[in-house]
Amino acid sequence: MIEVKELIKKFGRKKVLDGVSFTANKGEITCLIGINGVGKTTILNAIMALTPIHGGEILIDGKAIHKDSYEKITFIPDAITMLPQMRIADAMEFMADFYESWNQERATEMLRFFKLKETERISSLSKGNTAKVNLLLGLALDVDYVLMDEPFSGIDMFSREQIADVFTSHLIEDRGVIITTHEIHDIEHLIDKAILLDNGTVLKAFNTEDLRESEGKSVTDVMREVYQG
Amino acid sequence: MNRYLKLVNFEFNRFVKIYVVLLAITLITQIIGVILKSREYVANANEAIYQEQLSTSEFLSQYGTMSFDTIVRSVWFLGPIALCAGAVAFYIFLIWYRDWFGKNTFIYRLLMLPTARLNVFLAKGTTILLVTLGFIGFQLIILPIETTILKWIVPKDFRVDMGVHEIIGAIPELHLIFPQSFIEFVLSYGAGMMVVFVLFTAILLERSFRWKGILMGVAYGVVALFIMLSPLLVQDFVVDGYFYISEMVLLEVLVGCIVIALSIWFSNYLLKRKIRV
Repeated sequence: MIEVKELIKKFGRKKVLDGVSFTANKGEITCLIGINGVGKTTILNAIMALTPIHGGEILIDGKAIHKDSYEKITFIPDAITMLPQMRIADAMEFMADFYESWNQERATEMLRFFKLKETERISSLSKGNTAKVNLLLGLALDVDYVLMDEPFSGIDMFSREQIADVFTSHLIEDRGVIITTHEIHDIEHLIDKAILLDNGTVLKAFNTEDLRESEGKSVTDVMREVYQG
Repeated sequence: MNRYLKLVNFEFNRFVKIYVVLLAITLITQIIGVILKSREYVANANEAIYQEQLSTSEFLSQYGTMSFDTIVRSVWFLGPIALCAGAVAFYIFLIWYRDWFGKNTFIYRLLMLPTARLNVFLAKGTTILLVTLGFIGFQLIILPIETTILKWIVPKDFRVDMGVHEIIGAIPELHLIFPQSFIEFVLSYGAGMMVVFVLFTAILLERSFRWKGILMGVAYGVVALFIMLSPLLVQDFVVDGYFYISEMVLLEVLVGCIVIALSIWFSNYLLKRKIRV
């Protein structure tokens, strides 16, 4: 379980996150929802210790993040985290070199699924294909938790569909996923838990299935209530 | 350890293309220099001897003999060395900043490797050291080639041959990068690595605190400088020349080690707790 407790983050004097708390479980897709600039990416960066925090605590399976945690949790940012001059094969070799949790079989499977060629250079890939490679580099790690920042933004329709298919496949199953989005439509049916953020706080957190059953509301309905009501 | 070595290998490979180009520029420029300078000398000699009717000994007493010394002092020889030194100085900064800038933000990957982040720091430092040593080694290898070319062009009676050791000895400024003894080697490269680590720490301060970090980085540089100067200040103002020169050298080595240790410790802290992507 990933536990974010009373997280506070300031940029200068401005508090971007003001006591954000939520948990994300293994085997569930948790979605951080909020408009641009609300601090979704900052939360993911904070979980990965990529930015300092000014208060609160983040635990992964009960422990603060340390170097070995990166074999258990990975982050797929919205830009690819490999050198542009590398070929896809070089990027995979780099991952295999540094991560014990790298699973080449799974990587090869995803290459085939996304119809990508190993010999292609990252700098020459289209936006959609770059996103797919980025996703591949993260998901081919045998980690328990995957964080994804806006995996659907700025990508063509067919790539979006392919990526959405990944979410319902065994590539995601059993893992804990935290995903951010400002646009819920593509993934509304995929997510288990929604965390609605605004002004640096959690406005509402709910289990999507429960709410659908008990009140007959979709995530979009709740968002309308919370943000516009 | 294993991942540290992989990182060194990785960082070095990122520089290797520019490196090969710099080595090629050095080789070509210096050889052109040797050829031009030697031919210029021979042309002068020909003119003096055949047209002005000077004897060989008269020419030599007027113009002097040709030796590699003349070439070493020319821009053909020192220019590429300065270029390589400048490239290393520039790369000390670029080796960090290239990971933050551009649309592929590689720093995410480096900071998420399942290894101590200090290894990234040490690997970058090691790369700078290896690159520098490589330049020096290359220069020492091509020197005998260059002296041989000089021998081909200038006849024996008109030149004084110099060994590699003498050539480097001819220009005191080069002692710093071509040490003459093992102690000198340790001292100048130790000092060099200390400067690199202080600069790295300043860069990490800037990367952690951005605008405020620039001031902190400068302040850190001033503190490091002050620590380095402290034995001299104590010697001059407190104990009034109490220490022998050899003791002063030892004290400088000691404070140098302190500055290196401080920089590594501080950078480790910044990378673990303060760094921002």
